[in-house]
Amino acid sequence: MAEQRVLLVSPELCTGCRLCELACSFQHFREFAPSRSRITVVRKEEEGLDIPVVCLQCEDAPCVAACPTGALWKEDESGLVAYDFDRCIGCKVCITACPFGGIGWDPKSGSVIKCDWCGGDPQCARICPTGAIKWVRAEEADATKRDRVARRFEEVSRLITAARGGV
Amino acid sequence: MGFKGWAGKVIHVDLGSGSVSVEPLDGSLAAEYLGGTGFAARWLYDGVGPETDPLGPDNLLIFAVGALTGTAFPQASRHVIAAKSPLTDIYGESHAAGHWGAELKFAGYDAIVFRGRSPRPVYLWVEDGSIELRDASDLWGRTTYETEAMIREEAGDPFVKVASIGQAGENLVRFAGIFNDHGRAAARSGIGAVMGSKRLKAVAVRGHGSVELADPDRFMELFFDWRERMLSHPFTPDRVKYGTNNLVELMQAIGRLPAYNHREGVFDEWEKVSGERITREYLVAPKADFACLQRCGRFVRVPSGKYAMVGKGPEYEGLDALGPNVGNSDVEALIYANHLCNQYGMDVISAGGVIAWAMESWERGLLTAEDTGGLELRWGDGDLIVQLVEMIAFRKGFGDLLAEGVYRASKKIGRGTEKYAMHVKKMEIAAQDGRAQKSMGLAHATSNRGADHLYAFPVLDEVGFEKEIVERFGERYLPEMTDRLNPKYKGIMVKELEDFCAVVEAVGVCKYGTVIPPVFYYGDLADALTAATGVTYDEARLRLIGERIVNLQRLFNVREGITRRDDTLPERFTREPMPRGPSRGQVVELDQMLDEYYGHRGWDPETGIPTRERLEALGLGREAEELAAAGYPVK
Repeated sequence: MAEQRVLLVSPELCTGCRLCELACSFQHFREFAPSRSRITVVRKEEEGLDIPVVCLQCEDAPCVAACPTGALWKEDESGLVAYDFDRCIGCKVCITACPFGGIGWDPKSGSVIKCDWCGGDPQCARICPTGAIKWVRAEEADATKRDRVARRFEEVSRLITAARGGV
Repeated sequence: MGFKGWAGKVIHVDLGSGSVSVEPLDGSLAAEYLGGTGFAARWLYDGVGPETDPLGPDNLLIFAVGALTGTAFPQASRHVIAAKSPLTDIYGESHAAGHWGAELKFAGYDAIVFRGRSPRPVYLWVEDGSIELRDASDLWGRTTYETEAMIREEAGDPFVKVASIGQAGENLVRFAGIFNDHGRAAARSGIGAVMGSKRLKAVAVRGHGSVELADPDRFMELFFDWRERMLSHPFTPDRVKYGTNNLVELMQAIGRLPAYNHREGVFDEWEKVSGERITREYLVAPKADFACLQRCGRFVRVPSGKYAMVGKGPEYEGLDALGPNVGNSDVEALIYANHLCNQYGMDVISAGGVIAWAMESWERGLLTAEDTGGLELRWGDGDLIVQLVEMIAFRKGFGDLLAEGVYRASKKIGRGTEKYAMHVKKMEIAAQDGRAQKSMGLAHATSNRGADHLYAFPVLDEVGFEKEIVERFGERYLPEMTDRLNPKYKGIMVKELEDFCAVVEAVGVCKYGTVIPPVFYYGDLADALTAATGVTYDEARLRLIGERIVNLQRLFNVREGITRRDDTLPERFTREPMPRGPSRGQVVELDQMLDEYYGHRGWDPETGIPTRERLEALGLGREAEELAAAGYPVK
């Protein structure tokens, strides 16, 4: 079995530059159009938060279960929730079913837009300048996050040591 | 022909009659002026003149984005807002980053031109093809932050981008700004007061369209090279960590950190307001604007105390204007005063500048309690600074005088306080000192919008970018050009950088990345423009456009009576040697630099008016004839 990868999103690293939206719309439509992007950065200015929202490729995907025509299905090997435009009737029930806002509708092309990992080289991860979006091996996903938490403790422990008069 | 790069449409709004129309963008204007400041210069020159009262209905208020705004070009997040300035009475414009400009492009427009005055408060709503003036009576009297939130709530759409004025703009504070994206400021030149005079509270934009490119594949291929060069520049890690705030440390080190109303260039308590401290104690997260690889924006938190706040923190200009330049090391009061300026919607540089003038005048006994309504204007009183910011925004008591800006306030008081008004062409001087960096002194003097560090932004000599100086100017000007204290070759440097910055501001790109750090230059912008628009650009063509824009803005000012005599600095910089610090003993050798500058500009050295020959070479022959016919001494 081929190795599975995931798109690892870390909102705490996101600065809100939205280059991911530009890379995504460019990859699929060869133009810059955030409204046609499969990934959207939601900005909460009062809290200083920027949160990239994108399809999470659920194991037990509500969109797949809801789709009446089999236009959405889970690929066993890659883990991708795949979409077939030719089988889609545009009923948008998948948009309703998704609990995360991971699926959108593009009126210009008359089609569902959802993350397809750009065929294995996600452009949002390629363009992201901060590492807020990464394309990692599935088994690394948790390790990456845990390592970052551990680094924070490292900093705290340095401060404590310094406060005690140590090095 | 459909436009690529540009959206191809301009919105015209007559606030007097309430009529809105959409016109096609003029293709030759787009090609020859690029957008942003280029469009603003053209339309203001054509539509506004000496007879126009900046706060009257005849003034235009222009919002424009550039050919690259909305693309992935690094830091292509800028929009310009321009009008005849109520602060300086000459050409006025200001620029902001954020997401507003890109949103306008996605809605399908390159610019919005307002004229007239609305009988009641309104805001403009733009969502793709739907444009309407909406009642703003509930919004009037609100801060910029409240205005953004209320418009989004009413629209039921969190992605709406809003540029608005706060109370300062409504109250016609002469240095009020127009703010977007929670504390992104287009605040110089008093354009917020122009917006207030038109009773226009906000411009809300939502776009679902796209920016199409002439050669998409070429653009994206170039992009990954630009990205790599930007991220690998040695300056980038510090920019990410400190934003612009570590300039406090860097400027202290060269004696160019204005303190006590520009009297000094060092501040003994600099560590209390340093970038290091802001980062360590208050920074929550660095924030980026649209397509920005650097993230200068500071989201900060003061956790407790009377100045507790959460929101946009100060950047270098605010830190100095409300810190060292008013003798203030109370960093929490500083952060709070800056926060209030963002909410009430006014320029931190001018606000700090006018407070600094008042404090020095008080110290010298030229202002008394009778003038101030009993306030004692002691240097560094953080509580007082916060109080004065409030009083200015609402024109309360003594604040009403300060709200006029330092030129008018000092004229009104008289008694020799004019000597301590640190302005050029009525615009308060920002956080630089020409005595510690000669090119900056010249740049303050020549800028078309009055004292302004960004118009030429000559920083290559500030921290010794010798390699880039050689790349951009050749070896012939070494070593003098790299020496910040040597006036030699600063004329050519400022002239060239003014032209380059005009191009940068026309295409909608930030000066961070083009000027400092100096990563992208004409060649990169030409490549980007060619791929985006399909119009072929090279360095020579862009240089011509930049010079054309600067000259057209100058002609606007010539019509307003500006001559060489106005390209000057307060005596402090030319006569008072820097009292201490690393630049001790220095003054600005302004006349020498000006002569060199006019020579390279092709302007008459006596009058500072562009010559007919140069104007014709720039495609401004018609303007030269008009001015000569109107009696201006065009040689």
